[in-house]
Amino acid sequence: MWVRRHKVILIVIAVIMTACEPKPQPVELGSDQCSYCRMMITDREFASQVLNNQGRSFKFDSVECMAAYDLSADETTEFHSLWVPDFKDPETWLPSEEAIYLKSKTLRSPMGLNLTAYSTRESAEEMKQEYGGEIVSYAEVKELVKREWLNGSGNNHGSHNHH
Amino acid sequence: MKNLSILHYALKLSLLLIFIPASPQTLFSQIIVSETGSITFIQEAVDLAAPGDTIEVESGTYKEWNIEIRKPLTLIGIDRPLVDGEGEGTIFSIHADDVTLKGFDIRRTGRSYVRDYAAILIVESTRFLIEDNRLDDVFFGIYLAETTGGVVRSNRIEAYDLREASSGNGIHLWNSKEATIEGNFITGMRDGIYVEFGEGMKINGNTSEANNRYGLHYMFSDGGIYQRNTFRKNGAGVAVMYSENVDMSHNLFEHNWGTSSYGLLLKDIRNSTIEYNRFYRNTIAIYSESSSNVMIRRNDLELNGWAVNIKSSSARNHFEENNFIENSFDVRTDSPRNNNHFERNYWSAYEGYDLDRDGIGDVPYRPVTLFSMVTERSPESLILMRSMFVRILNTAERIAPVLTPKTLVDEKPKMTRIQ
Repeated sequence: MWVRRHKVILIVIAVIMTACEPKPQPVELGSDQCSYCRMMITDREFASQVLNNQGRSFKFDSVECMAAYDLSADETTEFHSLWVPDFKDPETWLPSEEAIYLKSKTLRSPMGLNLTAYSTRESAEEMKQEYGGEIVSYAEVKELVKREWLNGSGNNHGSHNHH
Repeated sequence: MKNLSILHYALKLSLLLIFIPASPQTLFSQIIVSETGSITFIQEAVDLAAPGDTIEVESGTYKEWNIEIRKPLTLIGIDRPLVDGEGEGTIFSIHADDVTLKGFDIRRTGRSYVRDYAAILIVESTRFLIEDNRLDDVFFGIYLAETTGGVVRSNRIEAYDLREASSGNGIHLWNSKEATIEGNFITGMRDGIYVEFGEGMKINGNTSEANNRYGLHYMFSDGGIYQRNTFRKNGAGVAVMYSENVDMSHNLFEHNWGTSSYGLLLKDIRNSTIEYNRFYRNTIAIYSESSSNVMIRRNDLELNGWAVNIKSSSARNHFEENNFIENSFDVRTDSPRNNNHFERNYWSAYEGYDLDRDGIGDVPYRPVTLFSMVTERSPESLILMRSMFVRILNTAERIAPVLTPKTLVDEKPKMTRIQ
């Protein structure tokens, strides 16, 4: 009875509650800056983002920059969620842990680690068939970024300049 | 009989005289491509040519793409022939040493999300010369991959009416060494000049303007020089990132306006010099993050929003003998900590005096105003910029610094502009 009478109120509350859930924000190409490397973001198929619990979005020009940001955040920082674009359909956001990644020399990413993300393993395999490379998980992406970028003297990126 | 043998020798000698000097020319032949001649395709001439030959392409339109050059050749455009790729792919693809490409108009490469189609692609080559070409409506312009040495000179590269995502870079250098890039003009591309994993580049006297992202984008590249270039009205100015031993001097950085636009963005730069440059009317003339041991000397910073925005992650950088003239803010930083050094600069906002007349102001100058610290935290407060309240705030802080970095001070401000 109460439910029926207050249906409208319940719907309003439900809408408000879902609205509170942080969602990936649209990336403004040519104006948003990467929160890690400071580069202007220009490629939708690489642009990634981290949401914090307040719903604020930190945008990145590449998967590798987001992973580096993820790795260098201090232990007390809790993120709400991390998102990467589906390379085949860059309007779609994939949770970073669920996405499947391809590291391929042919698909050059803005920061040189050449990572692209896919919604399914089949889709990643298909791209691998065509462009070569190796398929990795998000955990492996982080390992790679740690090895290539963060080890050595501080933020020394100069160490990986030969492929 | 004797006379005859003398005649015979004379004849032999004259033959030798004729043929010896002539022989080098017979070694390398010349092939002519024209719309009406026997060879009408450039690729055909390339296939026919022997290593070292010269191909002259006469004026006309050649609808060709993926012209593959795998031997040393000189290709000369006579009266600017037009090579039209019809949007299909890469147009000239060079995979050999000692190739010269000069005097061509090149138009309409392919465009792709996954393939870097270029007007001129040069792979794993050395001693190339790409000169006096005009590239129009191209995805990537001149693309160097894993090359050593080589010269790219006096080319004109442009594209227009394009969304950023579908434009490539004007001159793109990837994993290349010691290339000379000089006197080129680039506009309407994504990055005018892009250098990634480079070594010892010489980038001199180019003009890069109105590109969608950076006029020059320099990443993971050590030991380069760029001098006497003009970077004007680019979407985000110039970015030099994750590199060391870079010599940046006598360049002009001007009219780079926008929320994420800089005259020069420095990120993770070490042991480098920035000298005798002019920064005129940029949102932020020099932005520095995580950079160290950079000497910033004898530059003119005039009429910028912020002349310098230096993050506290930057340390041991020296600002000496620069002219800070009529900038809305001279220096901005994000923390009361400061590990950078300012000395003997000229600040047009300096209100001190010089009683001993040695040309150095007797009271130190604090270039960071309290208000600039406030704007760092909440950009919206900029609206109060010219208000009385802000003036009082800044004066109070100048007299008794509390929030602004105490050590960020020029102890020896110059009284007059440094010439």
